Amino acid sequence: MAKVQVLNVAVLDNPSPFGNPFQFEITFECMEDLPEDLEWKIIYVGSAESEEYDQVLDSVLVGPVPAGRHMFVFQADAPNTGLIPESDAVGVTVVLITCTYHGQEFIRIGYYVNNEYTGPELRENPPLKPDYSKLQRNILAPNPRVTRFHINWEGVADTMEDSENVDPSPNTRGMLPPPCVPGKMPPLGLLPENSMDCL
Amino acid sequence: MKLLKPSWVSHHGKPIFSVDIHPDGTKFATGGQGEDSGKVMIWNMAPVLREEDEKNEDVHKMLCQMDNHLACVNCVRWSNNGLYLASGGDDKLVMVWKRAAFIGPSTVFGSSSKLANVEQWRCVTILRNHTGDVMDVAWSPHDVWLASCSVDNTIVIWNARKFPEMVTCLRGHTGLVKGLTWDPVGKYVASQADDHSLKVWRTVDWQMEANITKPFNECGGTTHVLRLSWSPDGQYLVSAHAMNNSGPTAQIVERDGWKTNMDFVGHRKAVTVVKFNPKIFKKKQKNGSSNKPSCPYCCCAVGSKDRSLSVWLTSLKRPLVVIHDLFDKSIMDISWTLTGLGMLVCSMDGTVAYLDFSLDELGDPLSEEEKNSIHQNIYGKSMAITNTEAQLSTTIIENPEMLKYQQQRQTSTQTNSAPGTVGPESSAPKLNSVMNGESLEDIRKNLLKKQVETRTADGRRRITPLCIAQLDTGDFSPALFNSVPILPSGSSMSNQLTPHLSSDSSPGQPSSLGFRPSHDPMLTSPPANSLKALEDNNEGVKSTLLLTSASKIEPIKALDSRFTERSKATPGLTAAITSTKECKLKEDTSSDSEDKMASINKNLMYSKRKPELMIDGGEVVEKRKKGRPRKEKMTTSMVQSFTQVHTVSVPPSAVAALRLPTPSTQKAFSLQVSMEPSVFLEVENEVTVVAGSKLSQLRCSKDGRDWNTLLPSSTLESVDLIAVASEDRMLSVFSSCGRRLLPAIQLATPVSALHCTAHFVMVVTAGATLSVWSVLIQRKRYTLSVFINTSVSQSLLTQQGVPVVGLSNGKSFCFSSSLETWSLIADKADSLVQCADFRGCLSSHDAPVSSGPLAVMQGRYLNAGRLASRLSSTPHHMQQSMTLAFLENQLASALTLQSGQEYRYWLLIYSRFLVNEGSEHRLRELCKELLGPVHTSATTSWEPTTVGFRKRELLREVLPVIGENLRFQRLFTEYQDQLELLRNK
Repeated sequence: MAKVQVLNVAVLDNPSPFGNPFQFEITFECMEDLPEDLEWKIIYVGSAESEEYDQVLDSVLVGPVPAGRHMFVFQADAPNTGLIPESDAVGVTVVLITCTYHGQEFIRIGYYVNNEYTGPELRENPPLKPDYSKLQRNILAPNPRVTRFHINWEGVADTMEDSENVDPSPNTRGMLPPPCVPGKMPPLGLLPENSMDCL
Repeated sequence: MKLLKPSWVSHHGKPIFSVDIHPDGTKFATGGQGEDSGKVMIWNMAPVLREEDEKNEDVHKMLCQMDNHLACVNCVRWSNNGLYLASGGDDKLVMVWKRAAFIGPSTVFGSSSKLANVEQWRCVTILRNHTGDVMDVAWSPHDVWLASCSVDNTIVIWNARKFPEMVTCLRGHTGLVKGLTWDPVGKYVASQADDHSLKVWRTVDWQMEANITKPFNECGGTTHVLRLSWSPDGQYLVSAHAMNNSGPTAQIVERDGWKTNMDFVGHRKAVTVVKFNPKIFKKKQKNGSSNKPSCPYCCCAVGSKDRSLSVWLTSLKRPLVVIHDLFDKSIMDISWTLTGLGMLVCSMDGTVAYLDFSLDELGDPLSEEEKNSIHQNIYGKSMAITNTEAQLSTTIIENPEMLKYQQQRQTSTQTNSAPGTVGPESSAPKLNSVMNGESLEDIRKNLLKKQVETRTADGRRRITPLCIAQLDTGDFSPALFNSVPILPSGSSMSNQLTPHLSSDSSPGQPSSLGFRPSHDPMLTSPPANSLKALEDNNEGVKSTLLLTSASKIEPIKALDSRFTERSKATPGLTAAITSTKECKLKEDTSSDSEDKMASINKNLMYSKRKPELMIDGGEVVEKRKKGRPRKEKMTTSMVQSFTQVHTVSVPPSAVAALRLPTPSTQKAFSLQVSMEPSVFLEVENEVTVVAGSKLSQLRCSKDGRDWNTLLPSSTLESVDLIAVASEDRMLSVFSSCGRRLLPAIQLATPVSALHCTAHFVMVVTAGATLSVWSVLIQRKRYTLSVFINTSVSQSLLTQQGVPVVGLSNGKSFCFSSSLETWSLIADKADSLVQCADFRGCLSSHDAPVSSGPLAVMQGRYLNAGRLASRLSSTPHHMQQSMTLAFLENQLASALTLQSGQEYRYWLLIYSRFLVNEGSEHRLRELCKELLGPVHTSATTSWEPTTVGFRKRELLREVLPVIGENLRFQRLFTEYQDQLELLRNK
C-alpha cells in the first residue's frame, strides 16, 4: 500500500507555445509523515522510437511531507530542442511525471503531448527543419495514464523478495504505443480508454 | 423468498470471488479481479433492498473501490464491529481497510472509471507473511484475531488489536489451504485444504485439535475455494467439498468428538462454499398450534460448482430451497445479513444475487439474549456485553448523564468510526482545513509564486509542498482495545524488601541475663524464647497466630490486646517526637556469641538469602535450660504484665519450635538510609573496650551534621526515625537528630528483622514474635506470636503501621487490628491468581498501583493471570467466578492493609469487571454499600469513609464505569439521583 497517493495533477498553461515551461500542479496525499523527501521528475520523451531521446527536464525534491494532503506546482523548462530528432519534433509524443521514494519509483503519470504548428499553412507544409518557435504544445490533460508500482516504503535495506515489487524498468516505455506502429501515433481517439491501465 | 440479481453490482464483467455484508447491513463489499489488479468494491445495500432507491439517482450504488491489491482479491471480510474490512488476494497480501477521514467524494486519479468514491476507505495495514495467494480471511469473535490462509499451506493468525503483529503461523496442512472459519465462541478455528483434510485448531495453544480426513479421501480435482462454516450455536462445523459414495457433499462435523456422521447431499459438483445463517431460529408459533416449545435450529446455505445454491434448515431433512442456474459459473461466496433474512451470493461469472427470506420461511430468529443463553448453557461463555451491543444500540438512553458517558465511551473507543448511514453527506468528518479561509482556488492561482523553494546542499531544487489538509493518523488508536498491561511491581520490591541474613550461629552461648537490669521494667515484649513462647492463654483471649501447618502445638502464646494497655505503664518519653517520618532500618544482632563476627558485605541491603528454619529438638532443650534462669529473674518485673500468661512445660519432643534467623553482627558498616536528604548511618562495633565491656558507636550524618551515640554492645539501623537493635536484644529508637525517643526496650530474643515506617517501629524477633510500637503515642500496638512451621521470608510495615509478613511457603499475612487476627493477603500458590483474568477491566488512565503494600507482597505473581484466558482451558464461567473471587480477595486485602490507593484501584477494576460480566446483583450491593443510608438514623452502623476515602466519592468514581454499559442505566440513574439528592442536602 503506497503511503503516497496522487490525487490529482492539473496541467497549467496548456496549450502553450513549445518553448514555455511545463507546469503541473500536483495534489497528493500522504498517509503518514515521511522521513525522506519525495523526488519528482518530468521526463520528455523525444522520440517514440528510442529511450535514447528521453530528456529529464527537471527533478525536484519535495519535502518535508507530513501526513495530510499537499499540493505544489512543478515547473520545468521546455525540452532542449537540439536533443529531439527532427522527424519527431512535430506530432504526438509523451511527457512523463514520475515520483520516487528512497530511489524507488512508485508512480508514473504519462500524458500524450501533441505538438503542431499553429498556422494552417505550416500545418499543411511543415518546414523540413522544425521551427520550434511556431510550434504549439498541447498536453492531453484529461487522459493521464497512471501506472503505480508497489515499493518498499519502510527503507531501502530490505528489498522485498516476494516479487510484490513490479520492477518498473520493463514498463518505462509503457507509455508509448507499441513500436510496431510505424512512425507516428495512431489517432488518439482510437486509443482504447483503458489501455494504459493495463500496463 | 424473493430473488434479485442487481446487475449494477459488477467488476466490469470480471469474476467476483467474495462478497460480505457489513454488520450494520447498510453496505457490502465485493472482491475479485480488477482490470489489471485485484479489486475491492464497497456497495450501498439500500438499492439492493429497495427498488425506489435503486431508481433514485441520488442514492449512490458504488461507495468505494480500491485497486490496491496487485492481483485478484479472493476474500473480503468485515470485522465484527464493522470498523474494518480485511481483504486477501493473489498478491500474497492481506490488507486491512478503514473508513478514512476525508471530505468528499473523489475519483481515483488516472482511473478510467469516472465514478466517484463516495466513501473513502484507506488501507491501514498490510499484513505480509504468506508466500502464496491468500485464499480466505476470517475475523475471530470479538475481533481479537484475524486469520488468513494461503496456498503456501499455512494459516496465519494476526493480532487484530495490534496489527501487523503476528500471533502464530499454523502449519500442518500439506496442500493449499482454501477456507477458514472460527468457532462462534472463539475456542477453535477450522481450516480446509486441498490435502484432503479439515483441521481444527485450538486457540488456547494453537495446536491441532482434530484432523478430519475420511470424508475427503475421495476428493479429487480442485475447487477454487473451500469455504467451510461453523454453526451459530457452535455445535456443528460444515465443510465445503467432501465426498460420500462418489457424490459431492458438504460434510457435517459434530463438535462433540468431531464425528462425521451426516452430510448435505444433492449437489452435482463440488461444494465451494457453506455459510451458516448467523441467527438461530425456532419454529414460528402459529395460532392454534400447540404451544410446545420447539427445538431451536440453524439455517445453512450451500453453494457449489454446479452453479446451484441450496438452503437447509437443520430441523428439516430436505433442503428448504434449491436454486439452479442462478449463475453461469461456480458460486464463490455467500454472505448473510446479520438479521438472518437476507443473503448475497456471488459467482465466478461476475454477478451477485440477493435472496430475501421471510420469517414464515425460516422461522423466528432467537434474540441475541436467547442465543447467548444457548451459548452459556453449552459453553458457559458469557458474551453478554459484546454480543448485545448491536441490540443495545437501539435502547433509548433515559438519562442525560448516561448519555454523556456513552458518548465519551464512543469517542474513546471509536475515534474514527464512520456512521452507518450512507449518503453523500455522511462522509467522515476529520479533515482539518489549514487554509485560513482562503479558498482553494485562490491558493491555486498563486501557488507557484507562493510555494517555498530552496536549494539543497548539493544544489538541487527542493519544494516544500503546501499542506492543504491535515490527516489524523491515529488510525489504530490503542484506546480502541483496552489492552493495558499490568506492570509487575518488581522494581519497587527491592526497595522494600528487607534483606534477611541468615546466620548459622548456634545459639549456644549463655546470655548475660542480668546485663542491664535497669531495663527490665521497660520490658514490653513477652519472653518468647523458644519454649517460653509456648504460653498458653486458654483464658479465651483471642488468639492471633499464624498456624500454617497442622502441627500438634496447642499451647499458643498469643497477643492479648490488654498487653497494649499495660504497656502504657512503661516510663514514657520525656519529649514528644515531632519529626518522625520514614524510617527504615534493620540490622543484625546475632546470637550472643560475640566472637562470631560474620563478615557481611556492605551492600547487605541487596543480598537476599533464604532464611533458614531451625528446628531442632535438642536445641530446644538447651534453650529451655538457659531460659529458665532468665525467666526467674524477669518474673519479678513481669508479674503484673503477664499474670494471665501461664508457662506450660511442653515435652521438647512434641514441639517444633521455630527460630527465625538472625542477622549476624558486623564489625562495622555504614548505611545510606535515604537519598534526599542524604542520611548516612555508620555503625562501628567494639569501639572502645573499657574494663572488658564493649561499646558500639552509632554515627549518623545528615546534611553534614553528625551525632554520635555510644551504646553498650553492638548494632543497628534506620532513618528519620532510627531504630537500633543491638545484639544484647536491646532496641533503641532515636529521632533523626539522635535524640533517644524510647527507653531502651529489652527484647526476649534477638532481632530478626526491624522496620520503621512513619512513626511505627516493627520488630520480628528470632523467637517468632512480632511487635509494633507507635513512637508518636508511645503505645505498643501489637505483639504477635508468629508461631508456625514456616519461616518469615519477608516482612514490612505499612505507612499505617500494619505489619505484614511474607512466609517462606509463599503466603503473606497482615495483622488486622480491627479483626484482631492475621489475614491472608497473598498466596503464591493461590490458583485464583493464576486463573483470574481481568485484563479487560483495566482502565487506561489508572496507572497500576505498584508501590502499595499489597502490590509489594503480590507483585511477582500478580500478573500470572494475565494470559489466563488464553492459557487455561477452564470453561469461561469457571474463570469468571475465579476472577470474581480473586478481585474480591484483593479488595478485602487492600482494606485490611488500610491501603487506600490500592483499595480504590481494585475497586474500580472490580466494578468494571462486574459491569463487563453483567453481574447486576453484586453491582447493586456494591453501590448500596458505598452509598450508605440516605437518611441518617441513629441505629446505622454505616461508616461514611473507608481507608481514607469517602465512600460516596468512590461511588461517584464507580458510576461512570457503570454508565458505560447501557444495560445498567436504571441502576446508574438510581444511584446518580441519590447522590445528587445527598449533595443538594
